[in-house]
Amino acid sequence: MLEASAVHLSYGGLRAVDNVSLSVEAGRIVGLIGTNGAGKTSLFNVISGFARADRGTITFEGARIDSEHASAIARRGLVRTFQTPLGFPRMTVLENMLVFSRHDGKARHRLAGGSRVPDDVLQEAMRTLDEFGLAARADIWVQDLAAPELKMLEFARAMMAQPKLMMLDEPAAGVNPALIESLVRHIKDLRERGVTFLIVDHNLKFIAEVCEEVYAMADGRIIAHGPSAEVIANPDVIRLYIGEAADKADGRAEQSFTSTNHEQGVQQ
Amino acid sequence: MEGLILFAVSMLTLGAVYGMLCLALNLESGLGPLWDLGIVSFFGIGAYTYVLLTAPPAADHQSYIFGFGLPMWIGVVASMVAGGVAAWLIGLPTLKLKREYFLIVTLAFAEVIRQVYANEEWLTNGVAGIYGLQQPLRSTVPAMQYSYVLLALALLGLAFAWAVTRSIGASPFGRACKALRENEALAITAGIDPRGVSMRVYMVAGALAGLAGVFGVWYTTLIIPGQFEADLTFFVWAALIIGGIGNQRGALIGAFVFILLHDALRFIQVSGEWAVTLTSLRTALVGLALILILRFRPEGLFGERPVTFAQRTPQEAERA
Repeated sequence: MLEASAVHLSYGGLRAVDNVSLSVEAGRIVGLIGTNGAGKTSLFNVISGFARADRGTITFEGARIDSEHASAIARRGLVRTFQTPLGFPRMTVLENMLVFSRHDGKARHRLAGGSRVPDDVLQEAMRTLDEFGLAARADIWVQDLAAPELKMLEFARAMMAQPKLMMLDEPAAGVNPALIESLVRHIKDLRERGVTFLIVDHNLKFIAEVCEEVYAMADGRIIAHGPSAEVIANPDVIRLYIGEAADKADGRAEQSFTSTNHEQGVQQ
Repeated sequence: MEGLILFAVSMLTLGAVYGMLCLALNLESGLGPLWDLGIVSFFGIGAYTYVLLTAPPAADHQSYIFGFGLPMWIGVVASMVAGGVAAWLIGLPTLKLKREYFLIVTLAFAEVIRQVYANEEWLTNGVAGIYGLQQPLRSTVPAMQYSYVLLALALLGLAFAWAVTRSIGASPFGRACKALRENEALAITAGIDPRGVSMRVYMVAGALAGLAGVFGVWYTTLIIPGQFEADLTFFVWAALIIGGIGNQRGALIGAFVFILLHDALRFIQVSGEWAVTLTSLRTALVGLALILILRFRPEGLFGERPVTFAQRTPQEAERA
């Protein structure tokens, strides 16, 4: 579904993304891990069109998207989120949903008209909000939502767009364990409905639980790729997260690292 | 008493012209993402386009091109087209800029345009301007009654601007404008093209401000570059902030409140010396109102309110 091939992105002398190739098959939940500055978000930005790669190609469903504007890529069905949950603060929760709806997507090329939103669109929005526990908040401004509600709105809103691929940038960052459980449930549920995921996160427990396949990045490069349990247990990845000391601990660090992260999650 | 009524009618007419400008500005800056400090550009371009197309050929002592003496309705349509096209031309380079830079460029462009009106005599008759311009339906009523006709026409123009901006505001395109205003990056992830949407809303605002320019000409029956100084942009912004930015009603009420604050002092009968003092106080009074509003009611008299939709659940739809 998504193929990134030999992608390079530099900021001045800094190689943020260095010859990265990555593939996401339809229907999969793929993780992308790495420490701060590894280049994960830069890669996200390149794939979603928010940054232009210096070299390399990116295809989505067989079509080249590396020279397209981010909005055109979104219209293809590739929807991304940001590290900090965002909303349109002075628009209601329901308006936020409508902006992402296919109805608005098709009708916004007309200057006026369409002021009456079709009943089925409103009902779909309300049903989706209900699924995410936000139906009672439909008429309030998003700036009045609590942080966990905003997180849920991100998912609800993305559902309105009926995306093919959702790219989540640190969805579990700063989120309490109960909400993480809910996120995992929603992601798996959406996958059942045909949505493919590419997820960046530092929380390895969350990644291990939700992703089937993981890429690990360091210094702008992919250093490991494979099934999530395998990548998280990879010595290079362990070294990346807890440093050189891991090398000298005769493998004990590896055991400790994986068990710790599976129990508690590694926070940034 | 009749003098008071005629004064009120005159103020209402001017309020309606400001109302059109406020609705246009509210569309692009209240609903949309564009901080435009050059709304006066389109007001002027609309006014000059109308005059140059509908005025009679230049007399010996005058110097301006065109002067086709075309029917007024052609001038009205052309003023809107010119306002929209001017917005498109300004938008081509400037809509690539971030908000603060866009704001500065629009302010600068308005001044450049004013200098063109003043200095390109072959085009506009320069600072001398063009006087004695015709008003519509002038011959249909006695001179003393004409103020009412002009007020009715201005209110008609205002109703048109209201209908256009309201229809856009409630449409999916309007929601896209709001989304861009609120968070451009997130709006992009919804598939909204920032430049395309911004350009269209800018052009509509330009067209409406151009139309307001025609009413400005009908009100004053003359056109001089001094009518299109940056003051007007700030007055319209002040009116919008007083009324409530992002709210149609606020934009409308703000225009009339502004005119009341700014021009009501003209009616007071005082000595010449006091008249000068009061004239200076007019702008100060608006400034005071602005300070009080920003201190005690920063959202304006009618702030933006959450939008609600009539039918949301299957039960509600059935009831409807």
